[in-house]
Amino acid sequence: MAHMPPAARDGPHPGLTLTRSATAPIESSSPRSARSHLAPEDAFVSTSTSPLISQQPTQRRGSHAAIVHDSGNELRPRQTRSKLGSRSRSRRRRRNWKKLLWVKQSYPDNYTDQATFLENLQRNPRLQPYEFWPLVADISVILQQVCSVTIFVVSFVGIFQERVSPVSVVGWGSFATFVGWLVWDNWVGQEDEDEVLQRRRSNRSRAVTEQSSRRGRPQSSVIGLSASATGSVTSLAATERAYPQAAMGRSSSTSALSFQQSTSQAGSTVRLAIETSDEPKHRALSPLPGGRTGLRLGTIKSAVLIYSTLLGLSPILKSLTRSTSSDSIWAMSFWLLTINIFFYDYSGGVGVKFPASLSTNAALMASTVLASRLPSTGQVFSLTLFSIEVFGLFPVFRRYARHQSWKYHVALSVMLVMGAGAGMGMILGGEKDGVSLWRSGLLGVLLAALAAIVAIGGCSWWLISLQKYKNAINGPWDQARPIIISRRLWDDD
Amino acid sequence: MPRRTYNIAMVCDFFYPQPGGVESHIYQLATKLIDRGHKVIVITHSYEDRQGIRYLTNGVKVFHVPFAVIYRSSSFPTVFSFFPLFRNIIIRERIEIVHGHATMSTLCQEAILHGRTMGLRTVFTDHSLVGFADTGSILTNKLLKFTLSDVDHVICVSHTCKENTVLRAALDPLMVSVIPNALVSDDFKPLPRPEPSSLPFVQHPLPAHPLGPNDTVTIVVVSRLFYNKGTDLLTAAIPRILENHPNTRFIIAGSGPKAIDLQQMIEQNVLQDKVEMLGPVRHENVREIMVRGHIYLHPSLTEAFGTVIVEAASCGLYVVCTAVGGIPEVLPSHMTVFAKPEENDLVAATGRAIAALRANKVRTERFHEQVKTMYSWTNVAKRTERVYRGISGDIGEDEFYGTDIGNASHWSATRGRNLALIDRLKRYYGCGVWAGKLFCLCVVIDYLIFVFCEWWWPKDQIDIARDWPRKPPVSSDDEE
Repeated sequence: MAHMPPAARDGPHPGLTLTRSATAPIESSSPRSARSHLAPEDAFVSTSTSPLISQQPTQRRGSHAAIVHDSGNELRPRQTRSKLGSRSRSRRRRRNWKKLLWVKQSYPDNYTDQATFLENLQRNPRLQPYEFWPLVADISVILQQVCSVTIFVVSFVGIFQERVSPVSVVGWGSFATFVGWLVWDNWVGQEDEDEVLQRRRSNRSRAVTEQSSRRGRPQSSVIGLSASATGSVTSLAATERAYPQAAMGRSSSTSALSFQQSTSQAGSTVRLAIETSDEPKHRALSPLPGGRTGLRLGTIKSAVLIYSTLLGLSPILKSLTRSTSSDSIWAMSFWLLTINIFFYDYSGGVGVKFPASLSTNAALMASTVLASRLPSTGQVFSLTLFSIEVFGLFPVFRRYARHQSWKYHVALSVMLVMGAGAGMGMILGGEKDGVSLWRSGLLGVLLAALAAIVAIGGCSWWLISLQKYKNAINGPWDQARPIIISRRLWDDD
Repeated sequence: MPRRTYNIAMVCDFFYPQPGGVESHIYQLATKLIDRGHKVIVITHSYEDRQGIRYLTNGVKVFHVPFAVIYRSSSFPTVFSFFPLFRNIIIRERIEIVHGHATMSTLCQEAILHGRTMGLRTVFTDHSLVGFADTGSILTNKLLKFTLSDVDHVICVSHTCKENTVLRAALDPLMVSVIPNALVSDDFKPLPRPEPSSLPFVQHPLPAHPLGPNDTVTIVVVSRLFYNKGTDLLTAAIPRILENHPNTRFIIAGSGPKAIDLQQMIEQNVLQDKVEMLGPVRHENVREIMVRGHIYLHPSLTEAFGTVIVEAASCGLYVVCTAVGGIPEVLPSHMTVFAKPEENDLVAATGRAIAALRANKVRTERFHEQVKTMYSWTNVAKRTERVYRGISGDIGEDEFYGTDIGNASHWSATRGRNLALIDRLKRYYGCGVWAGKLFCLCVVIDYLIFVFCEWWWPKDQIDIARDWPRKPPVSSDDEE
């Protein structure tokens, strides 16, 4: 409807005025009170008229009726003469027009009833106008990911140009990961305690869905543990696939190979928990708090496993793409990291089992091909381990930080922006002497902060300003959304 | 006054031998128009070995044009390649009105474009509802707008469909008529009831379905088992309905990707003896399945008209259906129980229907006669004929569109009276910033092809086909 024929655009024709006024984009920026929000029953019940539409015809009808009044007298004899040939639009009839097909009506087929035509049309029924600060907060999640990728690239360039020692990169990375793990462990512990308390207080709270997904996790880890001992990674392909799993393994302490199995079981547990039975919740809680030590042990075990696997694989990775030219590698890793940024699961909460596997896999493949450019085994090992930390484990931590408190989220964002900026500045700017390196790093921080603020603010403002072009049309012709409560086995769509 | 008769070409991708609602609509409408003295040909693409010209009952001449089928029996949209052949057919058969059917049919859209280029009157019948949200709908709507920018009249099968089409194609509402589908009510008769005299004792009045409290109520579902037909709702509702009403059986006819869900539900709840799945059925066997039941359940999520519920009511079934799309307009309330498209409400509505039947409150034996008076193809043909007369100028414009719109000057441009190329281009240009220019380009090329055809295959060198003997035209205003 955005493009009507020009002739239709400025006509005072009642029927079209109605549609036009109902779809004009200018009004959509008007306050929300004028807009009727769609309740589920509106989709099919034809009784409610939206205030926006019902007002317009009434004032039109006054002038319209006057015209009809004049021609009314002439019309009378004709009506009796020919039933089919009677004029449309005349409101002087014996019976009212009904919006029914089975009734034999005395109106012509192309009669358009002013009162009811398009009365169920709804514009932007589910529109929720964006607000600035929440939007900024949401965009900062994207910013974090972009900064993580930047930091990784900077680290690679540092290692590649032999400015930074690979050991220091991976050392600091691992240290940060360890600290992050401790913090995360602490958070999870607190959360579980809270949950126990909450359960005692209200046994049947309605917010089952989100929490049960969190509850499902410890149990899955128990299942995973039993199988973790047998897990061993042999092939490169398996390793690549295993990385994201290992990343999750940190949170649920499963070994890489057993993870697939445990996820599916966890999934079914969650589904069971969503359904009404209380039983799985009890089971889910049983490994607490005594099982926590076991979880930690398992995490350490899988960490050692990944560590040694990587150590063993590094010589192979080193010569992986020797026959490929560097240009291809740069281009390929650029695209892979772009895929990582675009397909990252920005909306995922803490309970997500397998967040954006395409994104993670792309990033790990990028790190693998980049690592294969490096000359020594130690460098390869460092970069690959670092990439696992950055792309596999760090997102989990970020999710939890955001879930825990906005303060942490903001602090983390600021740190990431500064880190990425400083890194970029140092890589692009400085020679190797200390002073100018720090200066260019500082410059990078400033520029990055500026760019981040402009980008976040600008994008938010842009998106908000684009909202006035939003013009979703809904009505009884739309496919209804079925409300199905008892989903027993099928969970499609 | 002898009424004028027309030569009409129905153009649609969907036609027999393929079964379906649009197909039977075209056929029934064509035969009834022939009964009224018109000449009707059908142009469709070829179906496997069915190419060339066929005659159907009543002298419906069908042209199976060889075209490649790409998706769900829509032909490949080439925009122009159909034109020379189309022009030949039109001239041979001396066609005056091109009547296209169905949005998804590319053949129909092309025919309307070429028909206008050749200076013919065009009508389009819309059989479906399309939303505005997803990419597919947006493209479909743009294409429809292209075609309908320059059409003489549009016919929709329900009022909801009319609202939808008016919005999608930015049409003048008065250019859109609502003419519902119909059914051959003799094909959907209820089971013959025993004569009152043959019964041992006479009850007055005879109860609708003498259902005792312990008799089994049979619920029939005839539907393709797709998501948009609400099969998910059905799958969720059946176990609950059977739980609430033990003396109930289901008969489900139809096939589709969701059949597996139904099977799973049956096996999981051990309902093999209560739910019977018949698989795909032919349209002519639908009646035999329907008359086995008492209630027809129609859980569809979108429906422009819903012919099947009319057929069910005609067979004497009490109809439970979701109130979506055009369905609420189709049947009177004493034949139907409406439900929201929700599992709970569907279960509750079915419960109400079963209770009403058990209480013998519903006179289902009268449904057939009532439906027969509501819907008939003869009536549809008569109303379609009025559209033809309106666009051909046999009914005055004032009379056809109404006079009381004194300010209608801006619409006279869009009503497609004028066949001059420049006016057509004006109409197309309004379709959009880029689309408008593209459409204009298409129209100009189409016109050039037309000019070339006129020069290469002159009109007077094309043979005129002999007509099937025409029936005497029925006088215009007699009631059937």
